[in-house]
Amino acid sequence: MRRRRIAAMAWENLKLRRLRTSLTTLGVVIGITAVIALASLGEGFRVTVTQRMEQGFELNVLTIIPGSLFAGLSRERFTDEKVQNITEISGVEIATQVMQIGNVTLYNGDQKVRAFVATAVNFTDFINVFPDRFTFESGGAPEQGRNDTIVMGYKVNHPNETETAFAVAGDNVTVSLTKTEPAPPPIFARSIVENHTFTVAGTLQKKGTPGLTNFDYWVFIPLGTAREIYESPESDLIFVRVSNPDRSEKIAEDIEALFPRYKISILVPLTFIRQVDYIINLVQLFLTSIASISLLVAGIGIMNIMTVSVMERTREIGIMKAIGAKNMTVLAMFLTEAALIGTLGGLIGVPTGYGLSYLLSYVVSRFMGGQHQQGTVLQTPETQQTMVSPIFSLWWAVGAMLFGIIVSVLFGLYPARKASKLDPVEALRYE
Amino acid sequence: MATILEAKGVKKTYVMGKVLVPALRDVSLGVEEGEFVAIFGPSGSGKSTLLHVLGGLDRPDEGDVFIDGTGLSTLNDNKRAEVRLRKIGFVFQFFNLLPRLTALRNVELPLTLADVSEKEAVERAKEVLRTVGLEERINHRPTELSGGEQQRVAIARALINEPKIVLADEPTGNLDTTTGWEIVRLMKRLNEEKGQTFVVVTHDQSVAENANRMVYLKDGVIQGVKKSSGGVRP
Repeated sequence: MRRRRIAAMAWENLKLRRLRTSLTTLGVVIGITAVIALASLGEGFRVTVTQRMEQGFELNVLTIIPGSLFAGLSRERFTDEKVQNITEISGVEIATQVMQIGNVTLYNGDQKVRAFVATAVNFTDFINVFPDRFTFESGGAPEQGRNDTIVMGYKVNHPNETETAFAVAGDNVTVSLTKTEPAPPPIFARSIVENHTFTVAGTLQKKGTPGLTNFDYWVFIPLGTAREIYESPESDLIFVRVSNPDRSEKIAEDIEALFPRYKISILVPLTFIRQVDYIINLVQLFLTSIASISLLVAGIGIMNIMTVSVMERTREIGIMKAIGAKNMTVLAMFLTEAALIGTLGGLIGVPTGYGLSYLLSYVVSRFMGGQHQQGTVLQTPETQQTMVSPIFSLWWAVGAMLFGIIVSVLFGLYPARKASKLDPVEALRYE
Repeated sequence: MATILEAKGVKKTYVMGKVLVPALRDVSLGVEEGEFVAIFGPSGSGKSTLLHVLGGLDRPDEGDVFIDGTGLSTLNDNKRAEVRLRKIGFVFQFFNLLPRLTALRNVELPLTLADVSEKEAVERAKEVLRTVGLEERINHRPTELSGGEQQRVAIARALINEPKIVLADEPTGNLDTTTGWEIVRLMKRLNEEKGQTFVVVTHDQSVAENANRMVYLKDGVIQGVKKSSGGVRP
């Protein structure tokens, strides 16, 4: 018997029992809706998180920090020689070292601000590593070779988010730096404060980068000057810009090979993003699996209803067989009914699922919008509002449809087989 | 004339709980092409069982049934379904039409199963319904038809694939006398005009007497065979 005719007959049978078909289909609709809603929200969540991380971490910048996560921070310090070695690694564009000074106080006339992070950098290299982050509100990058100019982050220059700036380019600013004077035991090391005057070369625009290094809170001073003040040729961090982010993991390995084991750690944004992506994948899989359970419940509903249907239609099956229907034809007819329920459930469930995910995302964003976080030092999102947009994926849509159909057919298999194996004489006698 | 349908040493026993009920005890019967045979006997004599076995709906415990020389015992379920579809038409006491389908669709059903195109199926079904005198009622569902009309639809369905053999199980059993006779006359006419072989099971001797041959069955054994003129009475 032709497939089209079987499908037409199956469809007529379903139409004949409208309420029952609707309720059975509703089970599948709910299952697929749940799967699609969770999957598309999960996908949206993944994209949002990944985008934010890509904004926060320049994918092509590796950060080398002393010590390791296993052995604790080491006293490893970086030298010009190491930086030079790193620069020579293939794929490395620039390697630049910075000295972390800790918090400092700045004075401009009778005004005073504190910067939580003062960083001594080689301006030319440093700006080349982070070109997108240096957009100036006033002034610009310091001239090469000058050792008396500084650059101020937005939050340092506007401590209370005020319109008026603490300083503009050209102002002379006094920076008080704290340094530790070593002393032989048993005398404790002593902190002394030194004031140095610098000219503001430039002030930065607000960026609010969501990553670990938010330059809004930083003040940059020349590395050469810092080395003189602190009487040290060494530095605390190295930033490495690579030409191709996809190779960053290999380059990180090459860099590690330059140092004794466990003496340094390298933050590779790509690895981090991959890890997060992996975790989100797991969570998504987990949530979708839970949603799939509802689809299995729907499958049991189909099995139940079809078993009843086979009993009710026993005589009809007997008639069909008496006039020459093969077992396969009867089987195909019932399986087609199950598949139609699955298809119908999918056709309704997929759009409903996406609709639900948009609704959920709207509700969540409204809720999150009211809870805007206040800035802290390790600052994160400020410039953007949290918003997870569900993502339509054809693969998920097709996958969920197929899953719905497969579940329906699998659960329809038992009653359909039962129908196909009915003895025609017995079936004809059935009242 | 060639033997088109033959039962050889057929035995069939039903198990009712713990009791074995023999329905057919060694029945042998040959039906020739174009014959109109009546199997008659009291209820419980095994008539219907014999008809089911002859039509390949039921398998005998022993013996075999040959249709056009092919032994049914050698065929699997699908092959036997194929034989029922192509070579046999069934008519039942309770009509056994599908209630949700119109007369036309009921008659079409065997053609649908035989993969005949929808267009051709509709034409042939209309033609057969005209033959049984129901051309005006083709779009009615069984519930909208009288008993006699339903049985005509059932006969039309049995004839649609132009089977060589039509097996009818108490075709008049659920009809009033007048309608019953109409059905008998219709079957006789089809038998004479189209040369199709009819095997009719009945407990009504007056119906059976219209056949070319009457086979009297009792307690699962053929008690006697009687040739008759085959003229329709009354």
